[in-house]
Amino acid sequence: MRIPLLARVHVGTVAVLSVLTISACLLIAGLPRGMQASFDQALRRSLSTASAQQADLTVTVASDSQADDLHERGQFDARDRQWRELLPAGLRPLVTPAGTGSSHASAKTSLTPITGTSGTRYINLGWLSDADRRVTWVQGRPPGAPGTTRYDGETIPVFEVGVVVEALREMDLRVGETRTLGENDYVAVKIVGAFEAKEPGDRYWDHNADIMHVAKVQPPGSLDFEKHITSLMSDDGLTALSGEGRHLSYNWVLPVDPAAAGAMDVPGLTAAVADLDRLIGVQSTGTASPYRLITGLPKLLGDFRAALATAETVMYLVLGGLLAVALGVLVLGVQLLADRMEHTLTLARARGGSLRQVAGTGAALTGLAVAPAALAGYALSYLVPGPVLPIVHLGPVIMVLVTVGYAAARLAVTYRAPLHERRDDVATARPTAKRTTLEVLVVVLALAGAYLLRARGLDDSAGQDPFLLLVPVALTAAAALITLRCYPYPLRLLVRLAARGRAAVPFIGLTRAARARSASVLPVLILLPALGVSVFAAVISDGISGTQVQASWQQVGAPIRMTSNIEIPAEAIAKVRAAGGVEQVVPAQTARVQVGYGAERAEAIAVDVARWRQLMGGAPFDLPDLSSGALVSSELRGRGTFEIGWQSRLKLATRGVIESVPGFYTEGKFLVVNIDVLTRPAVNTLLVKGDASVGELKRLVPSATVVSQQGTLRAIQDDPLTSTVRWTMIVVTVALAAYALAAVVLALVVGAADRARAVSFLRTLGLSERQAQRLTVLEILPMILVTTTVGLGLGLGLPAALGPAVDLSSYAGDLPVAGHPPGLVLPGTLAAGLAAVAVLGAYAHTAVSRRRRIGAVLRVGDLT
Amino acid sequence: MNPTLSELEAKATRQKAAFGGDAHIVCDNLVRIYKTEGVEVVALQGLDLVIDKGELVAIVGASGSGKSTLLNVLSGLDVPTAGVARVAGTDLLSMNARDRLRYRRSVVGFIWQQTARNLLPYLTARENVELPVKLAGGRRERRERADELLELLGVGYCANRRTPEMSGGEQQRVAIAVALANSPQLVLADEPTGELDSETSELVFDSLRKANRELGVTVVVVTHDPLVSEQVDRTVGIRDGRTSSETLRREDAEGHIIAEEYAVLDRVGRLQLPRDFMNALDMERRVRLELESDHIGVWPAREEPSGE
Repeated sequence: MRIPLLARVHVGTVAVLSVLTISACLLIAGLPRGMQASFDQALRRSLSTASAQQADLTVTVASDSQADDLHERGQFDARDRQWRELLPAGLRPLVTPAGTGSSHASAKTSLTPITGTSGTRYINLGWLSDADRRVTWVQGRPPGAPGTTRYDGETIPVFEVGVVVEALREMDLRVGETRTLGENDYVAVKIVGAFEAKEPGDRYWDHNADIMHVAKVQPPGSLDFEKHITSLMSDDGLTALSGEGRHLSYNWVLPVDPAAAGAMDVPGLTAAVADLDRLIGVQSTGTASPYRLITGLPKLLGDFRAALATAETVMYLVLGGLLAVALGVLVLGVQLLADRMEHTLTLARARGGSLRQVAGTGAALTGLAVAPAALAGYALSYLVPGPVLPIVHLGPVIMVLVTVGYAAARLAVTYRAPLHERRDDVATARPTAKRTTLEVLVVVLALAGAYLLRARGLDDSAGQDPFLLLVPVALTAAAALITLRCYPYPLRLLVRLAARGRAAVPFIGLTRAARARSASVLPVLILLPALGVSVFAAVISDGISGTQVQASWQQVGAPIRMTSNIEIPAEAIAKVRAAGGVEQVVPAQTARVQVGYGAERAEAIAVDVARWRQLMGGAPFDLPDLSSGALVSSELRGRGTFEIGWQSRLKLATRGVIESVPGFYTEGKFLVVNIDVLTRPAVNTLLVKGDASVGELKRLVPSATVVSQQGTLRAIQDDPLTSTVRWTMIVVTVALAAYALAAVVLALVVGAADRARAVSFLRTLGLSERQAQRLTVLEILPMILVTTTVGLGLGLGLPAALGPAVDLSSYAGDLPVAGHPPGLVLPGTLAAGLAAVAVLGAYAHTAVSRRRRIGAVLRVGDLT
Repeated sequence: MNPTLSELEAKATRQKAAFGGDAHIVCDNLVRIYKTEGVEVVALQGLDLVIDKGELVAIVGASGSGKSTLLNVLSGLDVPTAGVARVAGTDLLSMNARDRLRYRRSVVGFIWQQTARNLLPYLTARENVELPVKLAGGRRERRERADELLELLGVGYCANRRTPEMSGGEQQRVAIAVALANSPQLVLADEPTGELDSETSELVFDSLRKANRELGVTVVVVTHDPLVSEQVDRTVGIRDGRTSSETLRREDAEGHIIAEEYAVLDRVGRLQLPRDFMNALDMERRVRLELESDHIGVWPAREEPSGE
């Protein structure tokens, strides 16, 4: 049979099928790409926001003797090449080439004291392979070759060095002066110049912060700070630098380029770093100290993987649902096409068409409708930026195979017997015992799976937990089976009630609805997961956004919080009160206080809790009222009345136990007291209400750190993974809603001829047009209502059923999302909207078919 | 005189001629039962029918009498439940799917009542006629064959028209051409004139007769149109899933058509008496038979004398 001719004849249905295929392929191939792109982006951000020291690979070795000393640049370069050759293939694209980025080598001593400072001032000797590219000499000159001098009767080397400008000021050094270093093995340094970094913000300086800044260290039990700086010497200096008698280490930095990282490579990268670590360890033969690889990359990657795993799980769930629903709708489209071709195929089969010819024709026409559309959808998916995953190729292929395969199988079954007499109107097949057993098995397995998943939790070790992906599928299947099996029973009850009434329309409509089981299987199978998954997506998305808001309040504790290390003077507070947009200011004091008379310390905040509560307005805030005494953390509970030392000795009665103080403390020992209990409150914290500008407040109180809840919320929401989860949820919800609608419309169109005949027949018996409309709506309404309700329940129940297995806390400022009660408004609106649109569709359908003449659809003697 | 043992022996071993012999269509005790949940409809209840090659036979009967079921069985679209059904030497009960397909392709052609159901509306008449040929594997000269058939049936001018551009009569004649496309030995028509006015019916029936006479095709027409049954040599009546009567038409010496209606006697001697005969003589439950030299007399049961 001529396929193009058939395609022309059934152009409408073919077009519907094509459009459905394009959209399905675009979604199935495009969404994972977009998702993967943002996973990559998230990884890049996580690598680039981490310090370079953590993200980059540093090979280090200590030199303890002259034998291990390196005196020439060439030796450093040779080893750098050696490390690069050792890089496993997986790491190679990630590491920037030698001489680019922040790749460099360095030699540094540590803890080299200035002689006679009793170990409070340190000038370490340092060398950077690319110092000339990195610093500008602002005083004096760059260091030159080392010389010698006499000290304490011995000849010691004098290194010409330069220090950062900051060190001159902080450590009281002068350009031109010479200092002796060491307590027994002396060297001298002559400070010949001072430099500044060409790009102080460059990640390069993460590796060499000791050169850029003076490090102040407070040793235990001391009130004074030790000050450390690492100076910079020339290449010539290296010849005299020895590890003997000094802590000298050589470092080679192999920088990781975040832009080259991909989320899919993460497992491989972790393994590659471990490999490199092992390989570098093996190189140590011949040196006294081993070569070591120092990097925080595995930890960074591990943290990223943990966050990614949850995102992937949720994505797989919703994408799986989307795939199933899209396939269902496509199958419904194929059913429509098969319905439209029925006359042609029946005639062909009766006139001598073999089963292969008939089924082949149907399959070919389906292929013609689907294959180019799938190709187009596949091509369109390339507009979505992102890496090409296997699903991008597989998705469209699956679509085509399933639709064409279904078309062939369905037609082969339908036309197996040449005379195709359907008597569904007379009797429906009773399900066999085998099928009932299978259905019961699916339901039992699904429930057992959900129970086990809740009991067991998630298996993090294996990456994606297949169990987690299977349980929702099984639960959906179980819900669909129960719905299909059970929904005629309440309907039959309604039919009985309707039979007693005088009106004929409810009786006939409900009777038809209760009988139309076989025809409504597919719409139920599509609507249920569509609604289930979209409600699930909506609940999750709503949960994340709600928890994000809660987390932002939890982190800040007020619309705007100003904290300062020193007391905020009263004038400054007055200025803040007067600042534009400020509605209310609550002063507070925080400190670390002594509990009892021992060494026990606790964090304390003194604040007027009642005013704080008032300031928070309707925001989530769980501090109880406090007039006297103290609210304590659980670690301080059970002490009754206790004493603290804060300005004076305060006796406090425990008034309540709290989990956290929003914006301040979440763990450890902490307490809240009323600010009145302090004899002279030294306010160092201001809680501000109003939409004042953060910059303006900062200007008014220069010592304060100003944080706003809005800013924190933006920072939480700005995370690429979080936004991916959210936008994917939105796209999938919208797509599923559209598919559900398409399913209802297609189901209506597929059953249109049948229904038109029935309605026409009833109209010959005196059914009015109005009654005919009501009849159609009544016929379709129970299926939609029941499926919507079950789908809504499924979607709301899934997060609860999966319970602790899906941990979305990394997307919500580390607060557990599960604690957030599901908002019923969005899912409810979704379900109700869908039901309403479906019912409107039914009305519209009857309105269109009303125009047909009864005789056109009803022929005397035909089966009705 | 009692037969001798050897005579009885000879009688038992003698080959009995098969029912219907080598007739073109043979149905013997044909049964077709439709089963759906809780409902069993016996559409054919032991139907006997013999039709010779080249006959033009009408099958008449009330709605639900089983005539369409018989036609579906003969066309190979439906499989009987029990009995014998043989067409052109092919046993319709023992055919597998492949045989059935071949049978439908080369042995039978058929025409449905609904004109639109016979043809694909988006193909021209010629393409419709070519379709069965193509489905059967296609011959090179199918176009010529199609034109030839359309010409023969008087609708050659419709060759390039699509279904909506033809009248009902033209459509039905094209449908006959479609049925004849693969040169079948048997054409079955289910109420072919059911949707047509009497004038057009005449034309369509002429076409069927032409196929019968000129192509030597056996034609079986299911109808309840009395006009149709008057135009065939033999009319078989079906009642309650059984053949009940046959009407034979022949010309007498003066050229008048004489129609004689016979009751059908089955192989075990069962006979259906026409219902009006039974009503007229108030026959119920049992009758009295008497064998005469050239006929059998049937009388209502005698009133039993009362004991008084």
